[in-house]
Amino acid sequence: MATRSLLEDNKQVQRAIALIGMGARLQLLQSETNLPYERLLKLYKEVAGKSPSKGQLPFSTDWFLSWQPNIHASLFFNMYEYLQKASALDEVEALMKAYELYQAEVQTNAVEPLLSITRAWRLVKFIDSGMLCLTKCTRCKGQFVNHAYELTERYVCGLCDPPARAGKGRREGSIH
Amino acid sequence: MLTEDRLMSEIRDANLSYLILAQRLIRADRAQALYRLGISEEVASIIEALTPSQMIKVASGNTLMCRFRFDEEMIWSLLADHGRRGEREDGNASRLHASILMAGKFSEAV
Repeated sequence: MATRSLLEDNKQVQRAIALIGMGARLQLLQSETNLPYERLLKLYKEVAGKSPSKGQLPFSTDWFLSWQPNIHASLFFNMYEYLQKASALDEVEALMKAYELYQAEVQTNAVEPLLSITRAWRLVKFIDSGMLCLTKCTRCKGQFVNHAYELTERYVCGLCDPPARAGKGRREGSIH
Repeated sequence: MLTEDRLMSEIRDANLSYLILAQRLIRADRAQALYRLGISEEVASIIEALTPSQMIKVASGNTLMCRFRFDEEMIWSLLADHGRRGEREDGNASRLHASILMAGKFSEAV
């Protein structure tokens, strides 16, 4: 601790506070800040006003492939990729900024942000590690989250060709 | 030509409003501004540093400083909600579809 720069330490704390405010799980904070577990736990309780939820992170890549989540995930990741290319932000900053842009975009369309910050972070990791990728839709030419190694020559996205029951639910805040 | 004059002065007004908005966006949140404006870091730095008198000078040409960012029919028709059969009037899927395509366009542009 004594050797660490105070400025850097402060930056890490600010980052952790912002992430907790966005609803991040403790595992995300542990991975993306270099603060010790005890401090993160204390910080979490102070900022969120409750203990962090226990249990495993959602780790399945399948979640990102079902109809509604795929639209959310694809929107977020296109924004993330843009910021990665256009700005000098580091990975976590880009994650946070892209998440803000994503939230603003879905809320403008009266859609609930189905993708949590933790899911968004998992998505970035899954794509980094090659478990998921972006595939170009052959009709609209948009980039959509897809399993890696899937056949892509005839890929059509869920918005150009929605599944039969998609969007029929009239639940508030859903895509229809 | 009176109409011509009026149109030219409307271009200058639009230029100035655009520059002022761009500068405010950049100063408020640089990363978000890059996305919303679709500009590079370099251009953002230049616009951010413009003084009011410089802005008036820049805006005072007869050429519009901003232009349409998408030349794809697909995006326009999704935004205008055209050509989608069976879509309910209050459906938001085509808006989100357009958002995904636009976000993807930005990353191609830079």
